[in-house]
Amino acid sequence: MKMTSTMPRAAAGALALIMSGAAAWAAPVEVQWWHAMNGVNGERVDELVKKFNESNDQYKVVAINKGNYDEVINGTIAAYRAKRPPHIVQIYERGFMTMLLSDAIVQVQDLMDKTGHKIEWADFIKPVAGFYSYKGKLAAMPFNSSSPILFYNKDQFQKAGFDKPAETWGEFEKQLYAIKKSGAAECGTALATDYHWSLIENYSAINDQSYATKANGYDGLDTEFVYNKTLVVPQVARLKKWLDDGVLQIAGQGFSPEQLFTSGKCATYFASTAAHSGIERNAKIAWSATFLPWEEGRQPKNSTIGGAALWVIKGHKPEEEQAIAAFFDYLAKPETQLWWHKASGYVPLTNKAYEMAKAEGYYKESPTREIAVQQLNRGTPTENSLGFHFGNFTQAMFAQREEVEALFAGKKDAQQAMDDAVKRGNEILRQYERLNKGKY
Amino acid sequence: MVATTLEPGLKHAHFRTAGLPAMLLLPQLLILLLFFFIPSIRALMQAFLLADPFGATVHFVWFDNFTALFASESYRNSIWVTIWFTLAQNVVTIVVALVLAFATDRVVRFQSAYKGVILLPYAIAPVIAGVIWAFLFNPAVGPIAFCIKSFGIAWDPNLNGWDAMLLVVLAASWKHICYDYIFLVAGLLAVPKSLMEAAAVDGAGPVKRFFQIALPLLGPTLFFLTTMNFVYGFFETFAIIDAVTRGGPAGATNILVYKVYQDGFINLDLGSSAAQSVLLMTFALLLTLLQFKYVERKVNYSI
Amino acid sequence: MVERSPILTTICHLLLIGGIVLVCMPLYFAFIAGSLTMEQVQQVPMPWLPGGHFIENLATAWSKVDFGQLLVNSFIVAIGITVGKVAISLLSAFAITYFRFRFRILAFWLIFMSLMLPVEVRIVPTYEAVANAALPIQWLIDLLNLQGLWEWISGDRIEISLEWNMLNTYQGLILPLIASASATFLFRQFFLTVPDELLEAARLDGASAMRFFWTILLPLSRSNIIALSIILFLYGWNQYLWPLLFTTDKDMATAVIGVKHLIPRSDTEPAWNVAMSGALLAMLPPVVVVLVMQRWFVRGLVDSSK
Repeated sequence: MKMTSTMPRAAAGALALIMSGAAAWAAPVEVQWWHAMNGVNGERVDELVKKFNESNDQYKVVAINKGNYDEVINGTIAAYRAKRPPHIVQIYERGFMTMLLSDAIVQVQDLMDKTGHKIEWADFIKPVAGFYSYKGKLAAMPFNSSSPILFYNKDQFQKAGFDKPAETWGEFEKQLYAIKKSGAAECGTALATDYHWSLIENYSAINDQSYATKANGYDGLDTEFVYNKTLVVPQVARLKKWLDDGVLQIAGQGFSPEQLFTSGKCATYFASTAAHSGIERNAKIAWSATFLPWEEGRQPKNSTIGGAALWVIKGHKPEEEQAIAAFFDYLAKPETQLWWHKASGYVPLTNKAYEMAKAEGYYKESPTREIAVQQLNRGTPTENSLGFHFGNFTQAMFAQREEVEALFAGKKDAQQAMDDAVKRGNEILRQYERLNKGKY
Repeated sequence: MVATTLEPGLKHAHFRTAGLPAMLLLPQLLILLLFFFIPSIRALMQAFLLADPFGATVHFVWFDNFTALFASESYRNSIWVTIWFTLAQNVVTIVVALVLAFATDRVVRFQSAYKGVILLPYAIAPVIAGVIWAFLFNPAVGPIAFCIKSFGIAWDPNLNGWDAMLLVVLAASWKHICYDYIFLVAGLLAVPKSLMEAAAVDGAGPVKRFFQIALPLLGPTLFFLTTMNFVYGFFETFAIIDAVTRGGPAGATNILVYKVYQDGFINLDLGSSAAQSVLLMTFALLLTLLQFKYVERKVNYSI
Repeated sequence: MVERSPILTTICHLLLIGGIVLVCMPLYFAFIAGSLTMEQVQQVPMPWLPGGHFIENLATAWSKVDFGQLLVNSFIVAIGITVGKVAISLLSAFAITYFRFRFRILAFWLIFMSLMLPVEVRIVPTYEAVANAALPIQWLIDLLNLQGLWEWISGDRIEISLEWNMLNTYQGLILPLIASASATFLFRQFFLTVPDELLEAARLDGASAMRFFWTILLPLSRSNIIALSIILFLYGWNQYLWPLLFTTDKDMATAVIGVKHLIPRSDTEPAWNVAMSGALLAMLPPVVVVLVMQRWFVRGLVDSSK
C-alpha cells in the first residue's frame, strides 16, 4: 500500500498545473531534457526536439534551456538532491569526471544495451568517443562537440601580403606582427573567452605535450598536472608578449570577442567551430578559416573536443528510459547528425554523417565547416591528445585562468604563473582523489 | 491592564491572550522554518563536510574546510578586495550623495524632477545595471572607454585589476547613490531653520553653514548610511560583479560573497563554499547587531 | 532659504544636472544600443545617436523569450511577494508588540535572526526545500520511525511519502523570498510609536484584539504599507539568482531572467541591440513605479531601513 498525499497547490500554481496537465492528457511518454544552448543554437535544439517528437507518437522530449553550462549542472545537482531530476542533462566536457563518479547517472552504452538499441559506437569520431568513454564504453551521449579552429580575415591578410595564416606558430606570429605594422588591421587576434581550451589545452594536445601524468588522467585519479614543464610555458609567454605589443586584444566581460573579429578590428580569431553560425550571420568581412597552428618541426596531432554531452540521470521509470534511448537512437542517426552539423556548426559525431556531408558536396559550398572534423581525425590520438579526465576540472581550469590573468596583468612571469597554476590544480586534484578514492 | 514590569519592545497597553499571538506568528515562523532555518542549518552542516556535489560520497572533515580557507592565498586576497571595494564604494556613494543632497536642499525650481531622476537607478535590476556598465566601459567597443582612451589614458579592466575595481565601484555606487541621497535630503530638511538663520546672522555662508551645522547634525544618519553601505557592498553587489567582471582579472574584484557563489556554483566545491558562508553569516550577524543596537537607541529617543 | 545667492544656486543646478547626466548616461547608451542594427552596434565606436530600429529589436526580443508571459510572471511574483510579505509581517509584528505571552522574546529573536543573511549562501538547501516542502515532515516520520511503529501495531506495511513540489510554481518563486524579517521590523517599529491611548480607548468600547487590529491599527498603517509595498515590488521584480535557479520551465521565468537569456555569450551571435531593448523593456515597470509614486517610494525607502 502506498499512501501519497499531495498537498493542494495554491491558486497561483494553477496556471502551471494546467499547462503540465494538458501535456499529461496526450499519450506519449514525456522526458525532460535540460540544456544550455541559447541564441541560434537554442532555436536549433527546439527544432531538433520538434522533429523527434513528430517522428513518433510514443515519446516526447521536452527541451528546457536552463541557462549556461554552469547553471545546468547546478540545476541538475540541486534537482537530483531534491529527488526531482530531469531525465537528460547536457553537461560540458569538463564535467565528465564529476558526472561519471556521481552515482547519479546511467551510462549511455549500458542504457542503449538494456533497452535493445544497437548503436554503431565504433563509427563515432575518435576524439569525440574517446573523451566521453570510460573503460572502453561511452558513459555519456556525445551531443554538441566542437573543436577550435582559426578564423581569419582574408582581406587583411592579403593587404599585408599573405595568402592565408601560416601553419606554424613562429611564422603565424610574424604574420600577425606584419599585419599590425602594415596597418591592415588594428590588432592581430582577439582572445576568445575560452582561450584556455583553444590556446592552452588544444595547443598541448596538437603538439603532443603531456598535460598531466597518468595519460592526462585516463589511467587514475592520482594524476598530476605537469604542463608547467612543457611548451605550454613559452606559449603563454607568447600570448603575454602579443598582448603587450597590441597584437592580441581581450574583449572582456559583457562583450563578445567575436565582435572584434567580425567588425574587422582584429585579423584572426581562435574559436570553436560552433562560432560559424554567428560569424556567417554577422560578418561583413571576407573571412575564412583554417587549422590551428603547430610548432615548427612537429607532427601535428589531433585536436581535442569541447562542447557538451548528454547524461542520463538514473532512477527513472523503464518506459522513460525507453523514451530516452529512442531519442538517442534518433540523435545517432547519420541524417540527424548531418542536419545538426549543418544547422549548428558543431562537428558530426559519426564518420557516416561526415561521409554523407562530403558526398552531398556540403564542404564544397562551406569548406571551413570541414576543418574541425579533419583536425579531430588527424592521425592516431596519443595519450596526450585523446582528451582530459580530471576531477574538478572546472575548478582547476579556473585556477589556471586566474594565473594566466596574473601573467597578463604583469604580476607574474610565465613560468611562475604556470608553476602556481599547476600547484593549485594539483591541490584540487588531490581533493578529488581523497573524495573518490577507489571509485575509478 | 497596563503591565507594571515592561519587556523591551512590548507596548505598555497590551493583551495577555496566549493562543491568538501564536496563530498570528504561525505564517511567518512557518515560512522562516521551511525556507530560512532548515536551509541555513543544512548549509552550516555542509561546512564540515567534504562531499561530492551529487551527495554520493560524504566525508566528515571537521575544520578542514576552514583551515584550507585561511591557508589559501585567494581567500586572503578576497578579504582584501572586499575591504577595498566596500570602502571605496562607501566613500564614492556618500560623497556624491552629500553633494547632490546639499544642492537639492538649495534649489527650489525643478527640485522634484531632479529627485525623480536621481532615484531611478534604485528601480533597475542590479544585473541589468551591471551589463550596461560593462558594455559602456568595454575597452574594445564601449563608448565611454573610447572617450577615456581618446584622452590618452590607458584603460583596460580586463587586464588591470585596479581598472576593474574602479569599474565595479562605479557601477555599484551608481546603483546605490540614490539610497544615501534620499536619507541625506531628509536629514537636511530636518535641520532646524533657526540654527541656520542664527549662523547666517553671524555671517556664515551657505557652504560654511553646511559644514559647521548641517554635517554634524547629520552624524547619526551618516553612521547609519555607512553601515547600510557596507551591508550593500558585502551582500547585494553579487549581480553587479557577476555581470561586470566575474571577479576577475586574476581575482582583483572577487569579493567574498561572489567567491561563495563561484566556489559553490562554478567550482562545485560545496564544503569550502559553505565554510565561507558560515564566516560571512557570522559577519552579517555582527553587522545586524550593530545596526540594531543603533536603531533601538534611535527609537527610544523618538518616543 | 535663508538668503539669496544666485551663483550658488546656479552651481547647485549644475551639480544636479551633472548628477542627472551621471544617472542617465548608461540608460541613454542602452537606449542607443537598443535602437541600432546588429552591424551598427558592433561598430567601434558605437554611434552616439539613436537609430531607427528600436521597435524592431523589441519585437525580436519579445518573440525570442516570450516577454508577454515573462512580464505577467514578473508582475505575479512581485505582487505576490509584496502582498505575502506585508500580510505575514503585519500579523507577526502585531503579535510581538501587542501581546504578552511566554515565548514572545524567543519568537522575536527567531525572526530577528533572519534579518540580514544573504540568500546566495543557502541556495542549494533552499532549492531542496522548494522541490519538496514536505521534506521536514518526512524526516520527522523517518526519525520517529512512524512506519515501523504502525507496522508493529497493525501488522500492515505502509510506505508514507509526502510530497509538496513547488518547482515551477508561483509560490515556489514567491515564498522563499518572503522568508526574511525586514518588513516585520518596519511594522514593529511603527507599532511602537502608536499611542497607547488608542488601545485603551478601544478596550473601553469592548473591542477584541483582532477588531482593534482591523479597525484601528491597519488604517493607521496604511501609508507605511503603501510605502513598503513599493520597495517590495521593486525587490521582487529585480530578483535574479533565485528565479534563475528555481524555474526549470521557461514559461515560468521572469522578465529579468529573460534579459539574461538575451545577453550574447561567447559562441552566440552578438545581438546586443536586442538584449538592450529587452533590458529597457524589463526595467520599464519598476522605473514607472518609482517615477509615478516618487513620494511613497522615498518614504518606503526611509521607513524600510529604520
